[in-house]
Amino acid sequence: MTDIAARSAAPAPRLEISRRAALKLFTGGMAASLAGCSPPAEKNMPYVDMPEGLVPGEPQYYATALPLGGYGRGVIVKAVDGRPVKVSGNPRHPASLGSTDVFAEAALVELYDPERSRDIRGTQPINGWTEFLGELQQWSGKAKRGEAPLHLVTSTVASPTLLGQIASLKQQYPGTRWFAYDPLGGAEGARSLIPRLDRASVIVCLGADPLGPGPMQIMVSRAFIKGRMPESPGGMSRLYAVESTWTLTGANADHRLTLPPDKIDALAMEIVGRLEGHPGSPLPLDKGARHFVDEMIADLQGAGAGGLLLPGPMLREETVQAVLQSGRRLGAPFDRAATFPAQLRPEPFAAFEEILHSGKVQNLLLLDCNPAFDAAPDAKFAEALKKVPFAVHAGLYDNETADLCRWQLPLSHPLEAWSDLTSADGTVAIVQPLIRPLYDTRSQHEILGFYAGQTAPSGYDTVRQTWKQGAQDAGFEDWWRNALVKGVVSGRSPQFALSAGNTETSQPAPSQPPLDAPADSNSFVALIQPDQTIYDGRFTNNAWLQECPKPLSKGTWTNAVSLAPEDAAALGASDGDVLAISSSAGKIEGPLRIDRGQARGVVGLTLGYGREGAGAIGNGLGYNPRLLSPGSLRNVIRGIQVKKTGRRAPIPSTQMHFSLEGDLRKLLPEVAPGGSLPASGTKPSLFVPPPPRDPYSWAMVIDTAACTGCNACVVACQVENNVPIVGPDEVANGRAMHWLRIDSYDIGTAEEPRHGFEPVPCMQCEKAPCEPVCPVEASVHDTEGLNDQVYNRCVGTRFCQSNCPYKVRRFNWFAYNSGQEYKDLGKDPMPARNNPDVTVRARGVMEKCTYCVQRISGARRDAEKADKPIADGELKTACQEACPTEAISFGNLQDKGSMVNARRADPRHFTLLEELGTRPRTTYLARVRNANPKLAGGSA
Amino acid sequence: MSAIVSGAQPLPSAGDAVRAQKVERLTHVDTIDAVNTLVSGPLLDRRRWRRWWIAMIVASLLTVLFFGSMIYLFAKGIGIFGNNSIVVWGYPIANYVWWIGIGNAGTLISSMLLLTHQHWRAAINRLAEAMTLMAVAIAGLMPIMHMGRPLYFYWLAPYPNTMALWPQWRSALIWDFWAILSYLLFSIIFWYTGLIPDLATLRDRAITPGKRIFYGALALGWRNSARHWHIYQTYYRTMAALATPLVCSVHSIVGLDFAASLMPGWQETIFPPYFVVGAMYSGFAMVVVLCAGVRWGLDLEALITTRHFEIMAKVMLMAGTVMFLSYATEWFSAWYSGRGVDRRFLSFEFTGAYAPLYWIMIFCNCIAVQAFWFRSARRSLPAIIIISILINIGMWLERILIVWNTLSHHYIASMWRLFYPTLWDWFVLFGSLGFFAFLYLLFARFFPVVSMHEVKELVQREATS
Repeated sequence: MTDIAARSAAPAPRLEISRRAALKLFTGGMAASLAGCSPPAEKNMPYVDMPEGLVPGEPQYYATALPLGGYGRGVIVKAVDGRPVKVSGNPRHPASLGSTDVFAEAALVELYDPERSRDIRGTQPINGWTEFLGELQQWSGKAKRGEAPLHLVTSTVASPTLLGQIASLKQQYPGTRWFAYDPLGGAEGARSLIPRLDRASVIVCLGADPLGPGPMQIMVSRAFIKGRMPESPGGMSRLYAVESTWTLTGANADHRLTLPPDKIDALAMEIVGRLEGHPGSPLPLDKGARHFVDEMIADLQGAGAGGLLLPGPMLREETVQAVLQSGRRLGAPFDRAATFPAQLRPEPFAAFEEILHSGKVQNLLLLDCNPAFDAAPDAKFAEALKKVPFAVHAGLYDNETADLCRWQLPLSHPLEAWSDLTSADGTVAIVQPLIRPLYDTRSQHEILGFYAGQTAPSGYDTVRQTWKQGAQDAGFEDWWRNALVKGVVSGRSPQFALSAGNTETSQPAPSQPPLDAPADSNSFVALIQPDQTIYDGRFTNNAWLQECPKPLSKGTWTNAVSLAPEDAAALGASDGDVLAISSSAGKIEGPLRIDRGQARGVVGLTLGYGREGAGAIGNGLGYNPRLLSPGSLRNVIRGIQVKKTGRRAPIPSTQMHFSLEGDLRKLLPEVAPGGSLPASGTKPSLFVPPPPRDPYSWAMVIDTAACTGCNACVVACQVENNVPIVGPDEVANGRAMHWLRIDSYDIGTAEEPRHGFEPVPCMQCEKAPCEPVCPVEASVHDTEGLNDQVYNRCVGTRFCQSNCPYKVRRFNWFAYNSGQEYKDLGKDPMPARNNPDVTVRARGVMEKCTYCVQRISGARRDAEKADKPIADGELKTACQEACPTEAISFGNLQDKGSMVNARRADPRHFTLLEELGTRPRTTYLARVRNANPKLAGGSA
Repeated sequence: MSAIVSGAQPLPSAGDAVRAQKVERLTHVDTIDAVNTLVSGPLLDRRRWRRWWIAMIVASLLTVLFFGSMIYLFAKGIGIFGNNSIVVWGYPIANYVWWIGIGNAGTLISSMLLLTHQHWRAAINRLAEAMTLMAVAIAGLMPIMHMGRPLYFYWLAPYPNTMALWPQWRSALIWDFWAILSYLLFSIIFWYTGLIPDLATLRDRAITPGKRIFYGALALGWRNSARHWHIYQTYYRTMAALATPLVCSVHSIVGLDFAASLMPGWQETIFPPYFVVGAMYSGFAMVVVLCAGVRWGLDLEALITTRHFEIMAKVMLMAGTVMFLSYATEWFSAWYSGRGVDRRFLSFEFTGAYAPLYWIMIFCNCIAVQAFWFRSARRSLPAIIIISILINIGMWLERILIVWNTLSHHYIASMWRLFYPTLWDWFVLFGSLGFFAFLYLLFARFFPVVSMHEVKELVQREATS
């Protein structure tokens, strides 16, 4: 133990106070309280010298990058008066392409989260950075002498500067070891390639979820839809998914087969064998599945180099490598993901556990990771970590791991700090801060700077150093400026200080041991996957992501245990029953969701929940599947027992009914490639729309064929429009506020369940049923065709929503955003997240999608200033901007050349509930299913 | 009124012991003085109010619950109810329609039966009118409690304001606002003016100066002169003629709240007439319950006789059968329309989540009342009371199911969702019943529950015939 702790342990000397001393103290205290009883005088001063380019109230946009799973996605952040309020994609960045995912959209909540770690925390309440640095100095001395080598644990690192810093730390302190892990676990190889779905004509996903959440989601989704467009060069691609539980990829597949994980593994080997011309004995499957597999393989073989076989992280590492090598030989369309020099490769987490349990770790830095929750949530790990004398955790939150460490260092949010990030495809972007750190925090680079012995490390200088080529770099400032403006680094590579003699480059060990004990018939196989809105647990305290419905189940605020209907029936359990899932190592409990289309004998689990150190929002929700095999990062766990507990915990859900019986099917029509819907024709009407009085008539067309259900639009809308969070109880009460929802329908047959997505914003009906029923005229039509809601006028009779056939209106049952917030969402600085261009609605008023009317007004102002009309594509709604697949188009109906007019003329065009005569401005394009004709008979 | 002459003697105006005896014996009323004594007696002395006090305590507690819930509602927000973003309407709307329906019967009895010379009405019209008044007043509170921002309820009125905004005249809620308001104002005037001759009687018979002044002020100087009577009769009949269309308008407009929409199960032309009949139905059922209570509490067996109940049972039988026919018409047209959404809605009514309530409703509203085909059931007070209570429950279920079924099961399958009531929903419902009872008990304590002058007129007519 250090001497600080030793000193504090000694008894304090007893104070003897004389009468005089007491009087002095009273006087002193009085004086102090007089001086201290009012807050320090602060004067608000207007700018005397206005910063260049700053107009109060006018937004400014900065390009930066946000990490997900360590990799970056380029973003452009809007700041108003120095306050970041909206994250959008960076069109120049190949991992963003101008679009976002849910995690980028919701990053603001993390920035403004009142429960972020604000101050350094040591063993004493009084500890500050000075005390920490004092202690660090001693330990660094020991490290230098080789007495206590530094152990660094991180999650995946893809920041060149950070990698460079780690490399130089290793040089500075010999014996330094760096361990890194991906909390998602599973096969590493499966995530090391970028599938070029745009160039593939037949795609077979074996447990892979390229369209699911992850650092590549945006670009892969864009590429997938590019290859799905009927006009794409190789014709429309066909997607087969073989998986155990539902993923977004499975939901978007033309054909889907459910198999348990080890059968998928065996199937992968069978396919590889057949593709390479040395077929082994076929995997025993039932007749229907065998037919499916044979036709699928035939289709894949027929596609030649356009055939793409994708292994998932649930497969064994060897299988993944076999599939990838076969793909490379056959010229399958995929790229390798970004890699770094071998010297910069970390050791696996298992190696860290080994050395930790051996008790040799004294000097430990856990940098922005949470292994006590997401890798090894067991008591053994916790005990070992507690014993480390100088364990330091640096993170955004004082989380489970921090609780076990001696020090918690508050980390700056990526929107507050300088850094750089490589994206999954290898593009690098400079991360620039949008705002000065809200609290006394440091960035990762600054903390490593402290470790390197710098007294006042600057993240800015460190990052610039990485990109400077030599001391005399004349072109650097121009290049730097350009890289910041564009948000993409080009023409330079990072300068690493790599030592040639660094020998401890270890191959990443297979993170998943080979198949263990064969599953007996009574036990289940647990399959662990990232959560579709919470990912790996990093976002558990993010209320926007918690309330964002899971794409398929529409559940919120918890993770579910999914089972096939047959398995659930055998247990006698129904949706919402709490099940106890136990393995040899641990036990968890979670609510059941019965998933039609899940493999029998498989328990579907997702990561990210079951936290105790997340904060008020995220604590106590769901279960942590890592408890089933702590420390292993395995995603397939055999020998699982499932029992009913007898309790119930229904999952708060935003949608209760999923099937489309009878003529409900017309809500989400589907055509074959090149197919068209029967023309509805314009019927005569007494209500001829009057000629437009303004040059704009706004309309939106949503292509349901392009919607992958990723939810980016839902969260984007929430951020842009200050849509409140209501909390799990209110979601369960049916009061979620999202203005834009994605309806998820089970559109398959009894044998082959399939999913379809349909984003539903306000239809902005020309003959809106909500308008004539409002007694106070709070729901009115404007001259550009928008159906406006006047919040100030609304008295809350809710007749409008009663009469809305599309049920798109949302009511403020409580003051969700103005006094009755869920948990700590009303605490400072959370309200700073609000978009200043949008009203924060009061209790008792109705609200709904406005087509982002504030953006329309902004565009109109700009156009009027420039004295030209708003051009098509210049104005984007938040949902449209976020959509990775460009499924949403928005524009002016009076502009004959506009995208919306072109899409309205598409043979797939349809109007939701057209027969009601509401004449919606929001219309749709039908889904397209590229079914294999040879399979269609049995499964379509 | 077929008063049968009994051996009763003209009664002295005071003397508790004597009256107690006489009340025992009074099963028939045949003189004007007997009417006066029977009706006004209880109001003017202090005894005989034990049952009243017990009822009053219960009603007061429920009234406190009602207003307590209202305060909590206004402080906390509309979210305390079970409504959700899809089933945006709930108990307050059903309560509102139900109370308005009950409020319908009073004026109906007073006006239509007066115009059609149904003289038996004289014994019950006063208590029915009071019921109307209180029911409509409570009904008027419900939409305010239902609003998201109740403090702005007056925005539904066209008043001059700085925003230069008027209400939206196309909205059925505005029609409704006017319908309730005019009905309430009319009911107050009609009820009060009908009271004037009786207030004068009370003034004349009062035994304390306080009561004399109280009733004297309210009697507006009525002197029982022929000129007074002439003006009164003309006025009263004119008002009755005005009331009849109002009775129909108020509830047909409530029906339009639903019918003037686009939703399956609401968008039906049958709604206005069917709502009026439904209102009459539940109103009569409530009158039966109140008559039974008042008759028992104030010993008015001589005035409110089995024959009254029998007639009301017949009216309910008619109304119940019309209701059955209306439901059947709804079902038929939903099926016959061939629209998927209507047929799905129909099957949801009978087999969906609320189906048990729907079947109970059909039993209460359509089946139970068929017992009144039998004379024995019509003449059995317990049977009539039980069936009337069932009708009231059934009619409340009908209203809540109109709201729930349509809002839960509509066009877009993804947004189908059920309603789960909260404790506050029940508090407001039962609290409103308690508040009604509270008001009614006050009325019974201070005003003559039977229209004395009309009964006296009857007695006189029978005596002379």
